[in-house]
Amino acid sequence: MNRLRSLHGPALVLAILAVLWVVVLGGLFVLKPTALSAATMTTVLQFSTILALAALGQALVILAGGAGIDLSVGGSVSLSAILAMLALKAGMPPLLLPVACIVAGLLLGLFNGLLVTRLAILPLIATLGTFFAYSGLALALTGGAPQPGVPQWLLPWGRGTLGGVPLPFVSAALPAFVLAGIVLVFTAWGRWIYAMGFNERSARLVGIPVDRTRLILYGLSGMLAGVAGLVSLAWFGSGRPNIGQNLELESLTAAMLGGIAIFGGRGGVGGVLAAVVLLVTLKTGLLQLNVNTVWQVGIVGALLIFVLLADRLSQRWR
Amino acid sequence: MRRLNRAMSMLTGRELILLAACVVITIAFASASPVFATPENAATIMRNSVELLLIGLGMTLLLAMGGIDVSIGVVMGLSAIAVGRALGADLDPALAAVIGPLTGALLGLVTAAVVVLGRIPAIVGTLGLLGIYRTAIFVVLGGQWLSGLPTGLTEMLGTGLAGVPLSFWMIALAYLAVWLALRRTPFGLHLLAIGNSEEKARLSGISVIKVRFAAFVISGMLAGLAATFYVATYRNVEMSTGSTLALDAIAAVVLGGTSILGGRCSLVGTVLGVLLLRILQNGLLLIGVPSLWQTVVTGGLLIAVLSLEVLAGRLSFSKLGWASR
Repeated sequence: MNRLRSLHGPALVLAILAVLWVVVLGGLFVLKPTALSAATMTTVLQFSTILALAALGQALVILAGGAGIDLSVGGSVSLSAILAMLALKAGMPPLLLPVACIVAGLLLGLFNGLLVTRLAILPLIATLGTFFAYSGLALALTGGAPQPGVPQWLLPWGRGTLGGVPLPFVSAALPAFVLAGIVLVFTAWGRWIYAMGFNERSARLVGIPVDRTRLILYGLSGMLAGVAGLVSLAWFGSGRPNIGQNLELESLTAAMLGGIAIFGGRGGVGGVLAAVVLLVTLKTGLLQLNVNTVWQVGIVGALLIFVLLADRLSQRWR
Repeated sequence: MRRLNRAMSMLTGRELILLAACVVITIAFASASPVFATPENAATIMRNSVELLLIGLGMTLLLAMGGIDVSIGVVMGLSAIAVGRALGADLDPALAAVIGPLTGALLGLVTAAVVVLGRIPAIVGTLGLLGIYRTAIFVVLGGQWLSGLPTGLTEMLGTGLAGVPLSFWMIALAYLAVWLALRRTPFGLHLLAIGNSEEKARLSGISVIKVRFAAFVISGMLAGLAATFYVATYRNVEMSTGSTLALDAIAAVVLGGTSILGGRCSLVGTVLGVLLLRILQNGLLLIGVPSLWQTVVTGGLLIAVLSLEVLAGRLSFSKLGWASR
């Protein structure tokens, strides 16, 4: 029975998300039939890329348990993009821009990881502090102004499509999710993550290097944020200091909606990707209907609470 | 001299360090800026600390209990709108003053319902509420500021008692009430026990739900009280009112020595933490650091203090020859 449930869990999440997605699309079709087109889907996937990358990192950190959470993802996205652009301005060869952006993200993530694993600071406080430090730095270093000057050769990647699917989505977000899925399901290292999320004490007792694994996961979350920052650079052609705004809320919502248990040890990344597409479809739909963007943050917040309440209730009824 | 000694011994090491830090940065800023060490500026710092002192008091309760509320600043914003609307509708100022804490308590009730009854981790639940409340503020304000409010409330609360502003008396009263509740009633013991271990607290028969519920409502009410003073002082409310207060409060309380893992709290520490933060922010602004750096400084200070605390703890452990942790 237990096995049956664990097999059906992810499939159930995907089925529910698919139904919700059809409902959102149906609602959009009823309210504004012209909004439903292949071009809209391309836009949705383009907007999904950054959130997908951030949400994947968030999901992995939460999955590994230990009250894991990365509130700094949004700040890491902004700051890695800004740091890379400032380095470019300071004379770094343009060819190194992608590497610089990703490495900056990795370092920011590793700093979180060190605070959490080496200093044993509660993840929510540590990453709340770095969230304000990172997003504040991105604004303070630039005075809030966008940083222009992204090399021209990067733009075709950021703006191009392959058969209607945006290139960043095909080449960055999708491979990241596939890779994460394979690692989680088929490798010992992936199983460790589930094990430490499910019961950290037992994981330590059987010799899993919990702290090292967790450090790597925070680093990974930062690195994915760096990739997201790079996508934003290639897409907009400039570094925006507030590009990561609200990503902490949205990535958390996507992870929860995608079936990741808040206390770790349960859930898969497939659901997270589906949840990201659902969230962005909803946001794009609202935009198409000319609803003020301020509504987005409220709706995402309500969705987050709703998902967690539904999860609690379903556990009680089971 | 003996009285001074006794007063000093009431302070813990952490509080003494904070006090020393306040003195040191005050001297540093005073030598860097001629405007800093003036009575007017001291009054400004005190004035800027009012809301944070009240919200920090509520946050102390929450953190000591192992909870948190990142939406508390926006709760103050929403309460301020309620007070402003009441004043705008020519309500009696005394009534408008009560509407603040009332709205705050009501919103605290909502938070408690979500976090305590819904059994959602406080950080996630209040982050969701933060999003909802931000939209709510936009909807209620309709994208405009509330400004040019009637002066009735300002006049009522602007009066002093024995030469000291009314806000000071209210804050002192609030701290005294919370201190009594913490030290002289079972509530305080239960709150700290929940912070230590919710599971053990429940097993020992503490009504965990009731205590946690109460703490969230009290915190909301204090934010509402802060809103009343905010409106009385500034007589306007904008979209971003209160948006940085949650971080400031968390930073001040953690600086003050209240443990986020619960079980330990210090009201004196919170007061000193608030003062340190506000002196620092005021001084940096006066020596010409752009205000955009404020969140960086607050966030950085939070991380630095927590890291130093852990490192210093380890150092003293190893000196005494104890196994580290």
